[in-house]
Amino acid sequence: MTTFSNTLPPGRAIGAVVLALMLGFALVGPLLVPGDPFAQSLMKSLAGPDSGAPFGYDHLGRSLWHRLAHALRLSPAIALAAVVTAGAAGLVLGTLAAARGGWVERLLMILADALMALPGLLLVLIVLAIMPGTAMGFWAGLSLVLWVEFFRLTRAATRSTLASPAVQAARLLGFRWPYVFRTHLWPEIAPLMLTAAAFGTATAIMGIAALGFVSVGMRAPTPELGLMMVELLPYWREAPMALLTPVLATFALLLGLTLLAGGQKA
Amino acid sequence: MTLLHATDIAVFDGTNRLLDPVSVTLEPGEPLVILGETGSGKSLLAQAIMGTLPENLRAEGQVRLGNRSLRAGADRAAFRKLWGREIAVLPQEPWLSLDPLMRAGAQVAEAHRLVRGLAPAQARMQAGNDLAAFGLGAAVARYPHELSGGMAQRVAIAAARAGGAPIVIADEPTKGLDAARRNDVAALLLGELGQGGGLMVITHDLALARMIGGRLIVLREGTVIETGLTEQVFADPKAAYTRDLIAADPEHLPARKTGAGTGETVLRAQGLTLSRRGQVLVEGLDLTLQTGRILGITGPSGCGKSSLGDALLGLLPPDAGQVIRAPYLPPTACQKLYQDPVAAFARKRSLGQTLTDVARLHRAPAGRIETLLARLRLDPALLARRPGAVSGGELQRLALLRAMLAQPRMLFADEPTSRLDPITQRDVITMLADLARDEGLSIALVSHDAALIDKVSDDVQRFAAQGSDIAAAMGRDKAMVA
Repeated sequence: MTTFSNTLPPGRAIGAVVLALMLGFALVGPLLVPGDPFAQSLMKSLAGPDSGAPFGYDHLGRSLWHRLAHALRLSPAIALAAVVTAGAAGLVLGTLAAARGGWVERLLMILADALMALPGLLLVLIVLAIMPGTAMGFWAGLSLVLWVEFFRLTRAATRSTLASPAVQAARLLGFRWPYVFRTHLWPEIAPLMLTAAAFGTATAIMGIAALGFVSVGMRAPTPELGLMMVELLPYWREAPMALLTPVLATFALLLGLTLLAGGQKA
Repeated sequence: MTLLHATDIAVFDGTNRLLDPVSVTLEPGEPLVILGETGSGKSLLAQAIMGTLPENLRAEGQVRLGNRSLRAGADRAAFRKLWGREIAVLPQEPWLSLDPLMRAGAQVAEAHRLVRGLAPAQARMQAGNDLAAFGLGAAVARYPHELSGGMAQRVAIAAARAGGAPIVIADEPTKGLDAARRNDVAALLLGELGQGGGLMVITHDLALARMIGGRLIVLREGTVIETGLTEQVFADPKAAYTRDLIAADPEHLPARKTGAGTGETVLRAQGLTLSRRGQVLVEGLDLTLQTGRILGITGPSGCGKSSLGDALLGLLPPDAGQVIRAPYLPPTACQKLYQDPVAAFARKRSLGQTLTDVARLHRAPAGRIETLLARLRLDPALLARRPGAVSGGELQRLALLRAMLAQPRMLFADEPTSRLDPITQRDVITMLADLARDEGLSIALVSHDAALIDKVSDDVQRFAAQGSDIAAAMGRDKAMVA
């Protein structure tokens, strides 16, 4: 990946560090301080930090440290799975549309435009109603929303590259399509895909949290960022730090992803 | 009275001197031509005089305009006030500098209104007069896409001149133009000079330099090689480089010795009819390509030369007629050289990798790349670079090398030298001709430069101006074509 071979521009580097810290906490946090995100103890409701729960307790006396670590595993995992699926689908369909043209391209464009016309969250909600299992529903629904972006980017980049003298020369020299894809198309698409993937992941995490916040996403007692916010909202006066914990975590995650995505020209 | 006096203009990039101190003077009625190849610093000199150097470059020296004296590189704001009023710049490739959403008359009127400060109605009238003087009276209400290239150029010149500047600087005014259009531009520029104005032309085009006349400065690698009256320099060049440059002019190329070539037919087109977007470009064309021979194809831009090539290569299906390849030809026997070699290579791959891929695909014997590198006088160190980091002439030779790795029998060269300076052009063309002779390669060479085609081709295919009819299939060997 030529874009990453040299030193990262500062914005991207900061984004990468923020993300690494967040994911490091999600993976290592529960190992450093053993505990259970579901264990309730009403005696400790909204209590401050102690050695067993460095971030304190929520309204049901569950350790915020552990709930946050689990939430930070769940959302990014679903988001990444959806982005990978959407990216693969967008790449394949976008290349296909650009290479074949004609009715294949027309049909795919109509489908993409139709999906763009629907609000993304509504689409996710519909899929959630159909699919069994909330996590699976989120994955399928978000993939359906996100592939359009990858499809459009790939199609645009592929179309201009395929029309270039470089590709014509490669074909005249007898190179087959896999080689053309590897040496001409992929180097042009890859940086776009990485940027779109970072933004897509941020969109997905935001979507999961938003639906959790309006109580139609993940179900309690699953630790999820949006759900944690809405659960702690009534106690904002008594325990502002408890409410701020998932808010800051979400903010840091989205900031990291956005910084990673941008800064191409820095 | 001297219009412009620039003394000891030098340009630096940090501590690196890109242009050695040069002094130029511009007298009314006497044009000044700055001649040099790409990278010679000729555009830097013009930019330093106008105060339009990029931010990261620094200029030194004095510019005196009439009784005003400015320090080059220092008084940016002061230079700004001169643009359009004292110095007018004719943009390179002017059709790109017009606003596509504005009618021709309005573009010229805008300059009259904003630069010269005329009232709107007056500006409109003046713009109409200007365009009428250029023979464009009917084009006032047209959009740029409705104008031909030549008309667009005249509109751009009218707009640039609207401020009434006595000094005109034209930077590569004939870039990418065919011979007929080049002559038009030269006439137009000389016409501008009529009222005792100053004209400075920056070019690598020897023919243009000769037509403009006046005084000449030859630049190379940021140093002045020779100065003098244009006519004298062309008649009796003093410096070795100038001699070389003039000798490389297609008109001075030695005529080609026709190779012994076996004369076997490689490719034949019969009754070929081609059209693009409903416009017939080529109709009922017959031609034959033979081993060891060069078929020159020439004609003004847009006449269908490139489409003909695509059809011969099997990339464009003809509307009628057919292209017949010799039955023994492998599918990769026909290769192409492109006008812009940078666009013909994978942008993000080193040249060495690309060439190795081709060699492997075609099972070229080990050391074939090295042999060809030596033959085409290319430095093996170039292979580590990417296409964008190699000069045009070297890259075109590398493109030739790449094509040779596929062991072609036919090579379609689409304006392979139109972006190269004369000396590089001569080298590339000579190599092509040698390959045709030594390897029995059949070459179709496309160029808008009729003089070049006449010198190097065995047979010539001429196209008339845009439209259908082909003037004549005239060749030295008439039996070959037709």
